[in-house]
Amino acid sequence: MSKPSDLVQGTLDMLLLKILALEPMNGFAVSQRLKQVSGDILQVSDGSLYPALHKLEQEGWITAEWKTSEYGRRAKYYSLTRVGRRQLEKEADNWGRLSSAISRVIKLKEA
Amino acid sequence: MRPGHWLFTIPLRLRSLFRRAQADQEVDDELRDHLERKTEEYVSQGMTQEGAHRRARIDLDGIEQTKEKCRDTRRVNWIQDFMQDLHFGLRILRKSPGFTTVAVLTLTLGIGATTAIFSIVNAVLLRPLAIEDSTRVVLLQEWWKGSAGDVSVGNFKDIQKQSRSYAEISCSNNASFNLETQGIPERVDGEIATFNYFATFRVQPIAGRVFTADEDTAGHARVVVISERLWRTNLHADPSIVGQPIRINGLPTTVVGVMPKSFDPLLSNSNLWVPAAFTLAQLADHDDHYLNVMARIKPGVVMAQAQSELDVIAQRLQQQYPLDDADRGFRIQPLANALLGDQRLSLHMMLAAVGFLLLIACANIGNLQLARSRTRQKEIALRAALGASPSRIVWQLLAENVVLGLAGGVVGVLLAYWAVSWIVGHGPAEMPRLDQSRIDASTLVFACVVALLSSFLFGLAPALRSASTRINEAFKSASGIVGGSRDRVRSLLVVGEVALALVLMVGAGLLIRSALLVSHVDPGFDTSNVVVGRIGLPDAGYHDPVIARQTFERMITIADALPGVESAAVVSRAPLAGGGSSNGLLAEGKPLDLANLVNSQLQIVSPSYLSTARVPLKAGRNFTPQDTRERTFVAIVNETLAHTMWPGENPIGKRFACCEPGPKGRMDPVWHEVVGEVADVRAQGLDRQVQPAFYIPLAQMPPSAWDWIGRTMDLVVRTRGGVIPVHELQATVTSVAPAVPIYRLSTMQQKISSTLERSHFDTFLLAIFAATALLLSSVGIYGVLSYMVVQRTRDIGIRMALGASRGQIVWDVLGFGARLAAIGLTIGLAGAFAGTRLLSSLLYEVRPTDAITFAAVSLILLVVALIASYLPARRATRVDPIVALRYE
Repeated sequence: MSKPSDLVQGTLDMLLLKILALEPMNGFAVSQRLKQVSGDILQVSDGSLYPALHKLEQEGWITAEWKTSEYGRRAKYYSLTRVGRRQLEKEADNWGRLSSAISRVIKLKEA
Repeated sequence: MRPGHWLFTIPLRLRSLFRRAQADQEVDDELRDHLERKTEEYVSQGMTQEGAHRRARIDLDGIEQTKEKCRDTRRVNWIQDFMQDLHFGLRILRKSPGFTTVAVLTLTLGIGATTAIFSIVNAVLLRPLAIEDSTRVVLLQEWWKGSAGDVSVGNFKDIQKQSRSYAEISCSNNASFNLETQGIPERVDGEIATFNYFATFRVQPIAGRVFTADEDTAGHARVVVISERLWRTNLHADPSIVGQPIRINGLPTTVVGVMPKSFDPLLSNSNLWVPAAFTLAQLADHDDHYLNVMARIKPGVVMAQAQSELDVIAQRLQQQYPLDDADRGFRIQPLANALLGDQRLSLHMMLAAVGFLLLIACANIGNLQLARSRTRQKEIALRAALGASPSRIVWQLLAENVVLGLAGGVVGVLLAYWAVSWIVGHGPAEMPRLDQSRIDASTLVFACVVALLSSFLFGLAPALRSASTRINEAFKSASGIVGGSRDRVRSLLVVGEVALALVLMVGAGLLIRSALLVSHVDPGFDTSNVVVGRIGLPDAGYHDPVIARQTFERMITIADALPGVESAAVVSRAPLAGGGSSNGLLAEGKPLDLANLVNSQLQIVSPSYLSTARVPLKAGRNFTPQDTRERTFVAIVNETLAHTMWPGENPIGKRFACCEPGPKGRMDPVWHEVVGEVADVRAQGLDRQVQPAFYIPLAQMPPSAWDWIGRTMDLVVRTRGGVIPVHELQATVTSVAPAVPIYRLSTMQQKISSTLERSHFDTFLLAIFAATALLLSSVGIYGVLSYMVVQRTRDIGIRMALGASRGQIVWDVLGFGARLAAIGLTIGLAGAFAGTRLLSSLLYEVRPTDAITFAAVSLILLVVALIASYLPARRATRVDPIVALRYE
């Protein structure tokens, strides 16, 4: 497996929020989905995943529920809150502006 | 985060705080769930169960670390962390017991003293009077020739009739009564009051009722309202006291009500109240001014309005009664101001003094902390290297100081308890409400605030300094060079301490000098072996002036014959014994005009008085038994009166009019001829100006004068030395006037002490504060210099190895200490110069910028500072150069 690209903390938050915007799911599923959707390029290590999720929960952007999973165990399911959705939009906007700026610089014709 | 959003996250954070165990468990569960899913994933990819499980765990990067990281994100942080910091702070402090003890002791002194003085100021000045809505109650006084005075009955009645601003306006007069319970006579203080006196203060009795308007009329049956204290101590809290008679001034009087313990509106310790019941003659009298008038302003009326209404009434009365009320105005002021106003200056001075003391204490601890933070730098750097953020480090250092602050605060409050009870027990009797000083909730809050504030003050600077230290700098071995800015801060702190201490010492010095000067003042008569007691004859049985006079004359004869008594006399008010009445005198030849009246203190004396008290006779003669009402009225004047009425002339033979109207009416003067002049006697107090005073013989006093003095006179007895013959004197009085007590019996020396009690108390307290401040500052100087010597050990070693003598080293260190002290001294002197003028009303014959005091105090401070510097200097010379050079 190729080494996953380094993910800056802020970008990770944005990606997690987006994944949870699609549908509520538990932590493991979030990392699986992210990996799948990005074609294995974006992988978040397990050790960073849960601290990041807990931070998002503390900030109030996602909320958690303990449900009985399909395996008959208790599992924690996260979902996006209204405030979280606003935060996601904001961060997505910022990212958009940042990435187009970077693209413009990179595409400059060299002499 | 937006503020609203932050609010939303509070429940989450609170939950994390309180349900830590549960939250931890949840993280556990979540991670375990994740592991299982990962394992299954790997298994489905073809790994063995064991291999998959191991792989999943490796992926998780270490469960414990992850859990820790999760816990970190949930940190509700500053509370949990702070508790941890406090715990850690406690351990650190335990490790350096020397520092901790000194710091806690210093803080205890500062906080304890401040809390004690604050609770006194709170009880005496700040707490509102125990009256409903006390801000609306005012004291009304007459205003004549620039000073305030009591109100006459006629004026009171007129104001009552003509004013519209008051819901209630009432009056009272302080008086003493002979109370007989179980056959033992006792003198109690009380007031003669109008029936609406109680309504003015809106305080309800705890038993019975107050007077009705009916009972406040002349000729009505005798009734009395008593205080809770009287009920408890003299009447054994008899539950059926209401309606029972008690003997007051020899007559049975019915108790109609009992007032609660807190009821003392004029702070006069009154024990009973009888109705004023003014007669028609009294109601018409505009000339005798002796009433306290209290009023409750109507809601909606402002004081300024009430005052201007009074000014209008004053104008009217001036025209109606030109003789009595010319140039007289009226003033109102809030009752609290009137009662407590003159306590303000000295209590504020005390508060300022303890404030200084507290600042000095904090500066000392700040210095100690700065010194410690140097040695702790390595520890702090290590923590920074391990990942502590600067804010975390600052918080931890502050937590340490909070522990110190709280420890000092707790012990300080204990010290305050002890100090307050000592002050209440030994403090001046005349300070109102002093006995109500308590460490109550507001003082405890005050103490906590002070403790925490001081912790921050002395902890913040070192904490910030330490936290910003760069790590690699700290790990470099400490060179022998003194760190510039840190030591400058320490020096500044010491200079500040010295300045504050000097200001305190100057204040104390001025007061001490003043007290010494006062104690050397000549009272004007021989005060040794003189005993004074007051006797008040009741109206019943002694109404006839002849009988009253004969009673006193018999007392003098019997007292004179007692063994151990050299001579005895009576005087209407003995010097320094409190009380006194005054009259306006008109010199012969001057037209009858209020402006020509000389207000003088009246003394009615038996012929034996001047010889008993040993008041020097400057000219003329003493009274003789031949000076009776059938002969010419004579008087003796004091020097001040002679100079005032007949400046530069011999007063003997001159005449003045006073005290009683002639047969033709008020305008007919009755002449008194001056037959003698005596030296001035400091009757109002050793530090008070002498007033003009005149003496008239007992046998010649106007019959109405018995009313002026309340049929009360002071018995003055000169003993041959030894113990006060209390029982003999009481027996003397009782044998002549049964059931009449002699009270306020004490030596003249004791009376002098009690007039000086207040200023001695202030001086004593301030001296203690100043001494403590001096001690703390010298400890501060000692600390800075010791530290400096330790820091410069290498320097000193090098210099000694290069040939510097011990003397030079000592000189250097001493020089630094002396410089610090000198700068502090200068600043302190400047501050004292500016500030001590505030004390001028407390000083007797001493200017606030008195050079002797300033010089003496500066000298003491310099000497102490030099001693404090000498010890470290000596230690510096003990440095062995070889050891010093190796010292790291």
